[in-house]
Amino acid sequence: MTGVKMALVCLGALVLQLTVFVDVRFGSAAPELLALVAILAARVVGPDRGAVMAFLAGLLWDVYLPTPLGLAAVSFALCAYAIGSMESGMFHDTRFQAVLLAGVGTAAMVCIYALLGAVVGQDNLLTDDLIGIALRAAAANSGLAVLVDPIVRWAVTESEQVDRAAAAG
Amino acid sequence: MVLAQRTGRSRYRLALLVLTAATLLTLDFRGFGPLDAAQRGVRDIVEPITRVTDTLLGPVGDLWNAAFDYGSLEDENERLRSELDDLRSEAIQVQADRQAYRSLLDATEIDYVGDVERVAASVIRGAVGNFDDDSITIDKGARHGLEPGMAVVTGAGIVGRLDRVDTSTSTVELISSPDFTLGVRLVGVDEVGLGQGVSNDPTVFRVDRGLRATDDDAQAIEIEIGSAVVTAAESRYPADIPVGIVRSVETDEGGLIQIVMIELAADVRDLGFVSIVIERIEDRPPIAGVNPVTASTVPGLSSDDETGTTSSENESEADSTTDPVEAEPPASDDSDGGSGGDP
Repeated sequence: MTGVKMALVCLGALVLQLTVFVDVRFGSAAPELLALVAILAARVVGPDRGAVMAFLAGLLWDVYLPTPLGLAAVSFALCAYAIGSMESGMFHDTRFQAVLLAGVGTAAMVCIYALLGAVVGQDNLLTDDLIGIALRAAAANSGLAVLVDPIVRWAVTESEQVDRAAAAG
Repeated sequence: MVLAQRTGRSRYRLALLVLTAATLLTLDFRGFGPLDAAQRGVRDIVEPITRVTDTLLGPVGDLWNAAFDYGSLEDENERLRSELDDLRSEAIQVQADRQAYRSLLDATEIDYVGDVERVAASVIRGAVGNFDDDSITIDKGARHGLEPGMAVVTGAGIVGRLDRVDTSTSTVELISSPDFTLGVRLVGVDEVGLGQGVSNDPTVFRVDRGLRATDDDAQAIEIEIGSAVVTAAESRYPADIPVGIVRSVETDEGGLIQIVMIELAADVRDLGFVSIVIERIEDRPPIAGVNPVTASTVPGLSSDDETGTTSSENESEADSTTDPVEAEPPASDDSDGGSGGDP
């Protein structure tokens, strides 16, 4: 059931990315919705399942990107693994931290994607404005994290866990 | 102990994911057919959902632009008013120029795309990510007879080529992309060269290969600023599609090659409708032997033969003179759905 819910969330994120966020841009940079979903999922489920979910989300995004298939997937997986590991060891669960991690994670994902792209011959990804793009996308994702976090939690958490979490606090 | 085991297992899983990605990258680079088909399938499934969502949520984008781009819209309105005034005052001049342009086309026997079949398409979206500014998506695809590599034009000239073709939509790689390589012919001097788009400037095209500074008799080849540039007969695309006009000319450090900046005839920044030139894509390089061989010496590219009809013997002869460094992969590589670059 979790897989189906996560697939629906990823599909929704992709469709929004392809429609609304083609026009809605933040200083000419678009938010990276699938990256955001991957980061927030890894934060909840940890590095192991988080990396797999991020890989699949990245693979879906790869289908639409002009870069070779697998580039966004591996970037997302590496970042989600790091975030999942960090989260399980360092942070308590607060909304502010979700926003913070969404920003830092997105910036890291964009940079890793561009760097790995350059390694496999996609030199045009290393633009002069790479840092600017990463920061603007990170800012956009941080803002959207407040809205997306509950949806991702619903998707990756089994219903009984959600009830338990709600009862606890 | 348990924690160490879990960490080891998740690292193992991460390594597996990296290996999977490496495999996919390799297969994609090699143009593995089933992988392309799978990607096309996903896009075809998602496209109807995207269209419905776009219809429902389209006003959101309009509202956003109205709210946050109001200043730039005002500036644009002001600029357009100013341009309109200029255009009115130049109307008579334009009439004269049009006649001169017609005369130029007649004189050079340029027949823009001629009778080749074309398919009109509308642009349904621009860049979807943060690194694909030089691509657009159109509402026509394989079921309309489109194939990867076909030239995309507007009334002004070439704007790009089809990159990925799905059942009902296609992605166009714009001429402004640094990965877009095009063989061009400078009409005034009848020289051919190879160029590509320029990063962060969608209005110009840089030709930096194949244009000699001197001809076979050691006479300087003078390229006139403002002269017309069209697609070369030996490019991947139909010959004589307007590309733009020469904006500036400089010579490289060695003084052997001329580097020409071309002002593109078509504005690729705000495209609404385009046409796709339906022509069978031949398996040939973008242009044969551009350096140091030029129009006067490449078989089939002499001033007597600008129609693009080249015999296979001539092609093989031209290939033998091609500088291996300058040589480009054949057009068939484009069908892999990649970015159009040459990684």
